[in-house]
Amino acid sequence: MASPRPNTFPVAPLRKGIIARDMALIAVCFVLMALFIRLHWVIDFTIFCILVLSFDLLYGFMGRLSFGHVLYYGTGAYVASLVLAHLSSNPFLAIAAGVAVGAALAAVLGFIVMQTDGAPFALINLAFNQIGFWLVASGFQRYTRGEDGLNTTAGAVGFINFTNHSIAFGFLLVCLLLVFLLLKVLTLSPYGVTIRSIKENDDRVKFLGYNIFFYKWLTFVLSSTVAALPGTLFAIFYGFVAPTIISPFGNVEVIFAVLIGGAGNLFGAIIGGVVYKLMSNYLATSITRWEMLLGILLLIWVFKFRRGLTGYASELILRFKRKQGVEA
Amino acid sequence: MNLLEVMGIDVAYGYAKVLHDVSLKLQQGEMVFIVGRNGAGKTTLLQAISGLLKPTAGRIIYQGQEIQGLPAEKLARQGIRFVAQDKKVFSDLTVKGNIELASYASGEDLGRAIDRVTSLYPKFSEFLGRRAGGLSGGQREILLIGRALVGAPKLLLIDEPTEGLAAIVIEDIFRILNEMKKEKVSTFIVEQNLSIVSRLADRIYIMKEGKIIKEMADRAEIGETAGLESYL
Repeated sequence: MASPRPNTFPVAPLRKGIIARDMALIAVCFVLMALFIRLHWVIDFTIFCILVLSFDLLYGFMGRLSFGHVLYYGTGAYVASLVLAHLSSNPFLAIAAGVAVGAALAAVLGFIVMQTDGAPFALINLAFNQIGFWLVASGFQRYTRGEDGLNTTAGAVGFINFTNHSIAFGFLLVCLLLVFLLLKVLTLSPYGVTIRSIKENDDRVKFLGYNIFFYKWLTFVLSSTVAALPGTLFAIFYGFVAPTIISPFGNVEVIFAVLIGGAGNLFGAIIGGVVYKLMSNYLATSITRWEMLLGILLLIWVFKFRRGLTGYASELILRFKRKQGVEA
Repeated sequence: MNLLEVMGIDVAYGYAKVLHDVSLKLQQGEMVFIVGRNGAGKTTLLQAISGLLKPTAGRIIYQGQEIQGLPAEKLARQGIRFVAQDKKVFSDLTVKGNIELASYASGEDLGRAIDRVTSLYPKFSEFLGRRAGGLSGGQREILLIGRALVGAPKLLLIDEPTEGLAAIVIEDIFRILNEMKKEKVSTFIVEQNLSIVSRLADRIYIMKEGKIIKEMADRAEIGETAGLESYL
């Protein structure tokens, strides 16, 4: 009998052409948006889409709904800001520090939160998020300046200058594409197959010999680490962070974005992120009580269209193909 | 030589004791059946052996080592595979994806794993790209057994493989179990279909109210299904 290797996840042979096509499509769509919509909106969408992608790994692919994902986004943002304020104006150092601290925090908290599933998992994450929010707003006020927020300025490195919106947009788009590539490779690999199976049934995966706690912990750390990245990008681009960035209310936006696009589909995460942001931005400019209308729209969405845009699009394509097959 | 020996185990759900002083054994290459009415504790026994439930008393010896209380994933890595009763495959994965998952865990080459499963049920070679959730109940059971055989496990535990299946599919399951018997795969099966039990069993344990009330190892006695009917 061959020796077991349940904790390895060799990457499956990549469908390089398809991934390259997907990335080109995303790049073209974002560039077109940048041409026709306000650039700073599209920059905001890009940052948000990276956050939604990170959440999709945890919720869409592994089925663990967290109400505390924004903790890692906020951690990335605050660590990057503190580095810029006190250590160095190098934006890459700030990004590296923010992502590293986000990863370390997730690695530690992951041992606690991944002992649970379902509602306890969602609520323990919410509790940690609330603690993070309190620490930023009050506990570490001396460093974070509490409700007043923290102003910073990132210096230029070579031609990458975040005060130039076009260059910043280009850099953020590259980050989005790299995150998409990373998650695509991971979710197509045996590791991806395993976490999708964990989503369906933990026990059945155990019976095959997998150490599911390791996989769940690893996915939590990966997802949270990726979530820290857009936090650092937000801090660098806007040059300002306040406690709202780490507020547990932010989780609602991310969850809705995944539901709109379709959970467990990386394209869905990006589409959901863009649609959510478009709705919230346009509604805010045209309707006074826009939050209420957004809430009603999202309620309808959750009750009637839970499979998300990509879910329904796939179904339509399948039906069309079947119909063509029957006619042929 | 005994591959598995269960020695006087008790299993309880909270304060409710379900298994009382259960002892049995399985020798290398044997196909052993557990027969009994619903609620006799058959599934609980398989769950205790597979590591899903922890006995409150007694010992389970596998390959000379005590394994009671070890987690299911560790026992799976030691070669014990459990096919549960509910016929649940990973429905969102394809048939191939289900086999892949077992192949990664066991270290068996994917091509070989696919050959192993398709040799049990050749139609699977046409279904590899199909979502496993769309398979019939019988096909799901065959896929589960095939998946459990990937990596050549040392001991297979199967809970009611023919339950709820049509007669024609039951014959397929019988054929597969018969192949396994010929290949000397050590197997513990909970089964109510006495025709299958009497044709395949090397040994039978009859359970009632959480206890083993009879052991049959004599071929002539096992071949008489009429004798077994009174226990169901």
